[in-house]
Amino acid sequence: MAATSSSDSDSGRAESNEANSKWLDAHYDPMANIHTFSSCLALADLHGDGEYKLVVGDLGPGGQQPRLKVLKGPTVLTESPLPALPASAVTFLMEQHEPRTPALALASGPCVYVYKNLRPYFKFSLPQLPPNPLEQDLWNQAKEDRIDPLTLKEMLEGIREKAEVPLSVQSLRFLQLEMSEMEAFVNQHKAKVIKRQTVITTMTTLKKNLADEDAVSCLVLGTENKELLVLDPEAFTILAKMSLPSVPVFLEVSGQFDVEFRLTAACRNGSIYILRRDSKHPKYCIDLSAQPVGLVRVHKILVVGSTQESLHGFTHKGKKLWTVQMPAAILTMNLLEQRSRGLQAVMAALANGEVRIYRDKALLNVIHAPDAVTSLCFGRYGREDNTLIMTTRGGGLIIKILKRTAVFVEGTGETGPPLAQTTKLNVPRKTRLYVDQTLREREAGTAMHRTFQTDLYLLRLRAARAYVQALESSLSPMSTTAREPLKLHAVVQGLGPTFKLTLHLQNTSTARPAVGLQVCFLYNEALYALPRAFFKVPLLVPGLSYPLETFVESLSSKGISDVIKVLVLREGQSAPLLSAHINMPVSEGMAAA
Amino acid sequence: MAEEKLRMKTQVPESQKPRPKKASEFPIVEKLNWLIHLHYIRKDYEACKAVIKEQLQETQGLCEYAIYVQALIFRLEGNIQESLELFQTCAVLSPQCADNLKQVARSLFLLGKHKAATEVYNEAAKLNQKDWEICHNLGVCYTYLKQFNKAQDQLHSALQLNKHDLTYIMLGKIHLLEGDLDKAIEIYKKAVEFSPENTDLLTTLGLLYLQLGVYQKAFEHLGNALTYDPANYKAILAAGSMMQTHGDFDVALTKYRVVACAIPESPPLWNNIGMCFFGKKKYVAAISCLKRANYLAPFDWKILYNLGLVHLTMQQYASAFHFLSAAINFQPKMGELYMLLAVALTNLEDTENAKRAYAEAVRLDKCNPLVNLNYAVLLYNQGEKKGALAQYQEMEKKVNFLKDKSPLEFDFEMVEMAQKLGAALQVGEALVWTKPVKDPKSKHRTNSASKSAALQQPLGSNQALGQAMSSAAAYRKLPSGAIGAQFTKPPSLPLEPEPEPTVEASPTEASEQKKGK
Repeated sequence: MAATSSSDSDSGRAESNEANSKWLDAHYDPMANIHTFSSCLALADLHGDGEYKLVVGDLGPGGQQPRLKVLKGPTVLTESPLPALPASAVTFLMEQHEPRTPALALASGPCVYVYKNLRPYFKFSLPQLPPNPLEQDLWNQAKEDRIDPLTLKEMLEGIREKAEVPLSVQSLRFLQLEMSEMEAFVNQHKAKVIKRQTVITTMTTLKKNLADEDAVSCLVLGTENKELLVLDPEAFTILAKMSLPSVPVFLEVSGQFDVEFRLTAACRNGSIYILRRDSKHPKYCIDLSAQPVGLVRVHKILVVGSTQESLHGFTHKGKKLWTVQMPAAILTMNLLEQRSRGLQAVMAALANGEVRIYRDKALLNVIHAPDAVTSLCFGRYGREDNTLIMTTRGGGLIIKILKRTAVFVEGTGETGPPLAQTTKLNVPRKTRLYVDQTLREREAGTAMHRTFQTDLYLLRLRAARAYVQALESSLSPMSTTAREPLKLHAVVQGLGPTFKLTLHLQNTSTARPAVGLQVCFLYNEALYALPRAFFKVPLLVPGLSYPLETFVESLSSKGISDVIKVLVLREGQSAPLLSAHINMPVSEGMAAA
Repeated sequence: MAEEKLRMKTQVPESQKPRPKKASEFPIVEKLNWLIHLHYIRKDYEACKAVIKEQLQETQGLCEYAIYVQALIFRLEGNIQESLELFQTCAVLSPQCADNLKQVARSLFLLGKHKAATEVYNEAAKLNQKDWEICHNLGVCYTYLKQFNKAQDQLHSALQLNKHDLTYIMLGKIHLLEGDLDKAIEIYKKAVEFSPENTDLLTTLGLLYLQLGVYQKAFEHLGNALTYDPANYKAILAAGSMMQTHGDFDVALTKYRVVACAIPESPPLWNNIGMCFFGKKKYVAAISCLKRANYLAPFDWKILYNLGLVHLTMQQYASAFHFLSAAINFQPKMGELYMLLAVALTNLEDTENAKRAYAEAVRLDKCNPLVNLNYAVLLYNQGEKKGALAQYQEMEKKVNFLKDKSPLEFDFEMVEMAQKLGAALQVGEALVWTKPVKDPKSKHRTNSASKSAALQQPLGSNQALGQAMSSAAAYRKLPSGAIGAQFTKPPSLPLEPEPEPTVEASPTEASEQKKGK
């Protein structure tokens, strides 16, 4: 709560009203119908005409209709359906030749689709994973009918239990089958080659050998089988392969492939691994103890957003530098780079609709979006250098342009006391009555004390007497006598004039059943009528609660109610074992009479 | 349908070989894991569930990650039992995976089955030796099982694998549970070194120093915490209580305003605010704040104690009696409480019960000379000189003991009263406190004879009470030994800021003086 209040004040300072806002609202279309992630947004001069386009790998509403959309200004230029959901979209230069138009790569399932000039150019598929040799062997045997389905199943299960290489889908399916279906399944599938295929989870680009803005770049893929692959930009062969302890979710790279580079992968196990050129395995590891929701590199600092509503800064060797708490969950993050002023900052979109911009720990700016922003990117769009593109949870598209005069300055009032310090304490006022009573107590304190003590003793005495009396005459709804330990509670249901009265009678003894009990109702016959005012109770098995139901008819129409007494008696004894007083509710319906 | 067709299209190129028509291609099980994960981490659980459902249908329940995330979501939604069952399904699908076992154990832990959880964690530890999380969680489980040694071992090995604030906090807690303040401080020091901007750690360390009476360091750490997070209410409360001890009531009150915004229903906050007003002699405001605190935490004896004290000051003895007796019901082992009760009873002209209360106070109290002094005064006023003398000597013993421990100054009024009484009992010359209050002493010695006559009158004149209180509250020359004792009394965990004893401690001393008058 404290965090919220402080951040409110921060945002109050950092955010500015319309007039001196740093942003121009260029476009807002709440019905743009774009549902995507930051990784599927890319800005590039696709046609080489100096007009930058926005490429969107759109998942479609509910992830049902994946499409590739290219936007120019506020309008959709082209739109083409995709074979599967896109995991990532990047643009990169493939070769040195003129014209230097970047290619577009879309990662989807096990393939990367490469487009040039927005026309399909090449499709790269991840290589098949080697199948488990034992499994392969088993299916070969099945093919030659040297093994019956039941043995096959047993052997496969054995492999699943301990093998390093997991089974193929075919075998897993087979293991799920019933006895009767196995035969048919084996016959149908035994001829097939066993395959294991993995999918791409994330993709980014890495400069090949030059650090220039328009240098040739390699594609870096993260796959579901915990590997990182670097592809050659021209031949699409695998240049390097690295393995990770978990599945990569976000990638961040720096350097050049041929010289020296650093790969940072945020993984599904909540850790971030840092790899270098020569390392086949991670060199450093950052344990977040929460899931990362975004990974951005600002100069040499890695900024990680975690599901614990915080941003963390780490060095490139994995040492923690700082932590900033957010007022809401982070949805996505991206880099903001204002080249003209040499500014690099992190944008984080929050679940409460804010987009916050941080340089290290310092909050630079807060944008309030009309809906929660789910993806964002910043860069050159159209002919405008500094454009912010955001898409919202409802599928809206927001385009904002950073004013050319805008300078981000760190919030100045960060160190001041929190706003709350100026609000007055809410201390109750003293009343006339209070003062009078205080004065009276000062005058007659001793007498008051004595009277109180006397009354207290009297009260205790009375309570004790009443208690003894209740015990003696079994007025309580609990009976703890050795012979019949019983418990009773009653429920009245209905609005009237007819009520349903349910008595729950329970024998609380551990072993002995209770027999020969009777229930008797005492009530005012002018007000109520009961079908039976007296009945026998069946044998009570210990521990069970017996509901005994009876109807009560209210006879009065004057809206008065009365008490009905319930007595539980033992046959042949006049003193009741226990009793209960039921305060009947006022009848809300008219009496039948 | 569309899905199916599209997939066919994508898969055609990579498997060019002819295949039997009826043998349909199997979809890749992990095809949408990345999407499930992205939805999950941005907490869009509805979308996540939709994808999971679709994926499970398509793969006939083979997609382990989908089940795994479904289970995680169930657990977040509070359906721990269901999530546990799903994790167990996952564990069947891939028995070699430590992650699944870890989650099973976590669910068991959340269900309160710590024993079972440790077993599963140990199982997982066999699969994955070097996992920080397993070691840490094992440590937490052992803590709940009260096996502190094992817990410490696990937490230390967790720290060796990877340093985390959480592990430090847990280790610190264990040391506190064992009552080892010094070791806890060591751990928190290391933790602060590791992450110097963690305000929780800084605050806890500050509170621990406060408990030990190392005020300088305590204030330093609390101040650091406030620099990083000026609205950290735990640190503000603790720092405020220290300011109160030094008489900076206005500063403390300003700081409390922040807390009042953040947690307006905190009993310690209103208790401290009340005692600030008390220090500023705004008794009515003090009472209303304390009553609010009492309303919010009716079973907190410290608040009741303070209420009793303020009402004594206001000469509302009947009310004071009620608050004090309520406090005694919750905390029957504190000498000062009985002494205050005795003071109230004396003023309510119930000497018999007052004596009994004093007797109890003297029995329970070990180091506060005021208890004996007040008792002695009552006995003297009742004409029981012998008993008064015994109490007086007892008080001298305590005073000597305190002086041996630390060179401290006693409250001026207490010393004065003791001297008066000593003179009346004709033992005044042998008094122990020659140093601290020279001037008043010499003054008194000259006219001690005349004073003794005056002393024969009842000592507790009510009019002087208010002044005594206020002056004492302002002086704040309390025997620091007594404060230390106050601190150790409440068994407060470090994470619960309970600065109110600081506040109480001072006025307690103050109240006793009026008895002396």
